[in-house]
Amino acid sequence: MTTPASSEAREPSRYLLPTATPAETRAAMRDLLRPHRMLLLGGFAVMVGATAVGLATQPLLGRIVDLVAERHPAGAITLPVVLLGVVAVVQGVTTALGLSLVSRLGETVLARLRERFVDRALRLPLERVEKAGSGDLTARVTADVSQIAEAVRTALPELSRSLLSIVLTLVALAVLDWRFLVAALLAVPIQAHTARWYVRNAVPLYARQRVAAGAQQQQLLDTIGGAATVRAFRLEAEHIDQVTRRSWSAVELTMRGVQLVLRFYSRLHVAEYTGLAAVLVAGFVLVRSGSASIGTATAAALYFHSLFGPINSALVLIDDAQSAGASLARLVGVAAAPSGEHDAGPESEHENEHSAEHGAGRAGDQAAVTVSGLGHAYEPGRPVLHDVDLVLRTGERVALVGASGAGKTTLAKLIAGVHRPATGSVRLAVAPSAGNGRPVALVTQEVHVFAGPLADDLRLARPGAGDDDLREALTLVGALDWAEALPDGIATVVGEGGHRLTPTQVQQVALARLVLADPPVAVLDEATAEAGSTGARALESAADRAIEGRTALVVAHRLTQAATADRVVVMDAGRIVEIGAHDELRAGGGSYAALWEAWSDTRAPHPPGPPRSPHPPNDAPRHATNPKST
Amino acid sequence: MGGSGPSGRDVLRQVISGQRRDVALGSLLGAGHQAGEALVPVLIGVVIDQAVAGGEVTPLLAWLAVLAVVYVGLSFSFRFGARAGERAAEQAAHVLRVQLVTRVVDPRGGAENGRLPGALTSIATEDAKRVGTVAMAVMFGFSALMGLLVGAVVLLRISIPLGLVVLVGTPVLLWAGHLLSKPLERRSEAEQERAAHASGVAADLVAGLRVLKGIGAESAAVARYRRTSRDSLVATLRAARAEAVQNGMVLTLTGVFIAVVALVGGRLAIDGDISLGQLVSAVGLALFLLGPLEVFSWVNADFAQGRASAARIAGVLAAPPDVVPGDARLPERLSGALRLRGVGHGSLRDIDLDVAPGEVLGVAATDPADAAALLRCLSRQADPDTGVIELDGVPLRDLDPADIRMAMLVAEHDADLFEGTLHGNVTAAAPAAADPGAALAAMAAAGADEVALAVPRGGDATVSERGRSLSGGQRQRVALARALAADRPVLVVHDPTTAVDAVTEARIATGVREIRRGRTTILVTTSPALLAVADRVVLLDGGRIADTAPHADLVERHAAYRTAVLA
Repeated sequence: MTTPASSEAREPSRYLLPTATPAETRAAMRDLLRPHRMLLLGGFAVMVGATAVGLATQPLLGRIVDLVAERHPAGAITLPVVLLGVVAVVQGVTTALGLSLVSRLGETVLARLRERFVDRALRLPLERVEKAGSGDLTARVTADVSQIAEAVRTALPELSRSLLSIVLTLVALAVLDWRFLVAALLAVPIQAHTARWYVRNAVPLYARQRVAAGAQQQQLLDTIGGAATVRAFRLEAEHIDQVTRRSWSAVELTMRGVQLVLRFYSRLHVAEYTGLAAVLVAGFVLVRSGSASIGTATAAALYFHSLFGPINSALVLIDDAQSAGASLARLVGVAAAPSGEHDAGPESEHENEHSAEHGAGRAGDQAAVTVSGLGHAYEPGRPVLHDVDLVLRTGERVALVGASGAGKTTLAKLIAGVHRPATGSVRLAVAPSAGNGRPVALVTQEVHVFAGPLADDLRLARPGAGDDDLREALTLVGALDWAEALPDGIATVVGEGGHRLTPTQVQQVALARLVLADPPVAVLDEATAEAGSTGARALESAADRAIEGRTALVVAHRLTQAATADRVVVMDAGRIVEIGAHDELRAGGGSYAALWEAWSDTRAPHPPGPPRSPHPPNDAPRHATNPKST
Repeated sequence: MGGSGPSGRDVLRQVISGQRRDVALGSLLGAGHQAGEALVPVLIGVVIDQAVAGGEVTPLLAWLAVLAVVYVGLSFSFRFGARAGERAAEQAAHVLRVQLVTRVVDPRGGAENGRLPGALTSIATEDAKRVGTVAMAVMFGFSALMGLLVGAVVLLRISIPLGLVVLVGTPVLLWAGHLLSKPLERRSEAEQERAAHASGVAADLVAGLRVLKGIGAESAAVARYRRTSRDSLVATLRAARAEAVQNGMVLTLTGVFIAVVALVGGRLAIDGDISLGQLVSAVGLALFLLGPLEVFSWVNADFAQGRASAARIAGVLAAPPDVVPGDARLPERLSGALRLRGVGHGSLRDIDLDVAPGEVLGVAATDPADAAALLRCLSRQADPDTGVIELDGVPLRDLDPADIRMAMLVAEHDADLFEGTLHGNVTAAAPAAADPGAALAAMAAAGADEVALAVPRGGDATVSERGRSLSGGQRQRVALARALAADRPVLVVHDPTTAVDAVTEARIATGVREIRRGRTTILVTTSPALLAVADRVVLLDGGRIADTAPHADLVERHAAYRTAVLA
């Protein structure tokens, strides 16, 4: 059972999927934005207009102050007040329009980006994903996508508004009098310094925080998910202690983050005071020298006071923007991966990861799959397959047998085309499948039920299948009865967050997918192993029906599966050591014969089998009472 | 965690009272901060009035100094007040998290009933956090109230009519904004949810990547994701539009409100009822007051969320236990005799069975449900509906489940491994006094020594969460080694070798027999390799004991046994 999982464990150095450089990220963004140039320009123009209109508020208030100071009659303030109302309405309408344009741009680009990402991610060669650990890909598709989505949804509109307000307010201050602008800019060095200081400290801290939060989450899943085991082994105290420690270290890091943010605000308060005092002093000087009215000074002070909000949001959003930028680089790294990563051309999708030469030789020679000189290593220097030659004849059922670690799973994966061989080749001489064009399908003991209606799950194997096709496939694997008995029949939502299926049912679904995919070649890798012994037999017969009429390679640990196969291939230490029919090999006295003997012995009705002999039962007190032996 | 357990209200009360020092400190300092923020626009008005209009340097410097003092005060009270509030929230969440986990792993069980592990984990993280946030919401609510009061007092002192316009106008304004945006908000929430769905679908597809690759369904999956993503985009765009409109409306309403304040204030100033500076202050205050009032609305939302989360937490903490501990004691030196009389539970009927001390007993069930029911009773995850199970003559019902499990380990088929090293997993439950050789012997007996050889760094290899870094067969062998290393007087193992190849399975059967010599061991399995090493095998068929005899005899005389055990 050389599963990919164990090859993961064997991987000490952290390999991660590619991350884009800043230049690549920018190029990818330009590429994504290009089709939406008009939207970009339009949104920007409207937002500028909206912000500019809003800036008329302070001068209008200043005008009212002037009118009061100059002791005009009460009616004189009606006009500026009405104008204030007009400004409010125009600003509201244009802001609504501008914001919706900006979010439309952001959301559309985000949708394209995540689609491109998922497209590339699902087509990545499996060994690369496994090398990096599937956690890396999952984190990118969940945490990174939602980080960017969050930024697009909240930070982007807020940031664009804030930045425009800041820039245009400073312009407006300059329009009032350039000296107001100079006064206001006194705050900028403090703010710039604060922002740099914050980012420098926050980025590593938040990275540690995320790690701690992840560790806490992991520990909780471990302890809560394994609660029954924790109780059975009396590990309660250790686990509570571990949860306490991990939770507390997450709390401590959060508090350090909080303190950092609060110190950041304290420094911003200094900047606020400095700027405000400077603007007030400037107003004082200008009014005294007669270069500005009291109303203008008021407008300037109000302008500056109204800058607090946008400046604070913009500076706080630096942080969001930074993490969104990092997430973006991780998405672009995969989404923009050169197509050389994906071997074949885009038009022949089933060959995308199928790196072996799937030549199109015709099946006149009866060989459906020809394996020659196949070798593989998950890491350099630790080969798991050596120089394997094997021919699967059309329609033949071949069982693959061997001890754990003999290389059975690796060979199965190479033949199924989910891994690329290091050396040698796998040639197919079969027609593409009816379901989705891939000529070989692989069903393993690693299973997954896709969240959503059961019917949708099955249709992944054959997108065009009608309900009757689905029912037929379920019938064939003996699953229709329970499927129809689900609350909504085959439309019942299953998988994560839906109706929970038993391990046996999950495997039946996997076999039903195989039936629907309808490939000429099927590879089963212990597809019946994890169901527990009673379920296993039911699954075995379901599997038999599912591979009926196909060229099949079955990795078996129950030798009954081998006994019913046309031929048996015995592997040991990465090599094929025996090939032949069950009876031949049994009679041959080789390793299969030994294996069969060990196995059938344990099933044989007559002792002494080897496991029994060393332990005569009388070393234990004999049956004390045996009240119900019939 | 006694008797009936806490209600959601109790949980909230515990959070606030547990953090009362920080909550009180935070509220006090927060109030100071809000008062300071309220004074800033007032002081701008005063500076315009007293200094800019007058042209005197001394009042300018004096008032700028006052402004500086206000800034220092508001800055410090914000910094330390918010810190106290955050600390209260984080600590409260931490305390709840530990309480929840303590309840979940409680030997009496029952907390997981009807809750998936993912849901429980999210209660321990998200809900605990939301309830913790209530501590901060209390603080912010109090501070906002103080800010509102300071603003109101200043406004009313400037002018009663203008003060009333502002004080009545701000809540009306917020209420109107709320009213206008409510239908939008509802729609937007529903649509945000649909948007979140897209991310769920993507994660699910990636989780099933190997399955997709196996059947060549990548293109179908990509097409499905694209559809979901497009649907979600449409929904998100609707939500974003709704939000933009809401933003625009709030802006318009605020602007109109400021115009009204300017109109009333300007007329009062022209009439000489208020000064120029007071007019400026009033406009500034009108804008400031929107802040605390908005705080109220989100504090309210936090409370509502916190209440719902507290109810979920209380639901777990107060979950009825599966079994009630008794206060009997097991004898100091346990012989390991088990006795079942008339036991019925689930599909089991009328089970009478005696297991002698030191016996190795096989139990083969034709229906896995029978085996599961028996295991639940033996591990006292449930008490039998009828009949009694005795360990060394003491009914399990009269014992504390924690004590039972120290004496008798029921190692389930689906037992989990935990994050840590391979060796750490094996010795997790081993007696503290056990010598290191015992763990190695257990590993050898369970065939886990080969696992250690197959992975880099051997026994020190890291096992990832739930043992996912190992293959199914490797996991099973390590789990069995752990059960053997725990060295309990009575061991019940359930299907320990379903994912192990035939050769290794035979070795394991011998190893288990050897290492458990002289101590009671029950093998619940249909594996002939294991059943063959048992002294006797009990055949469970149709919920009853159909026969008891050595494996070989049963194979010979019982068709149902042959079907169940030999494929």
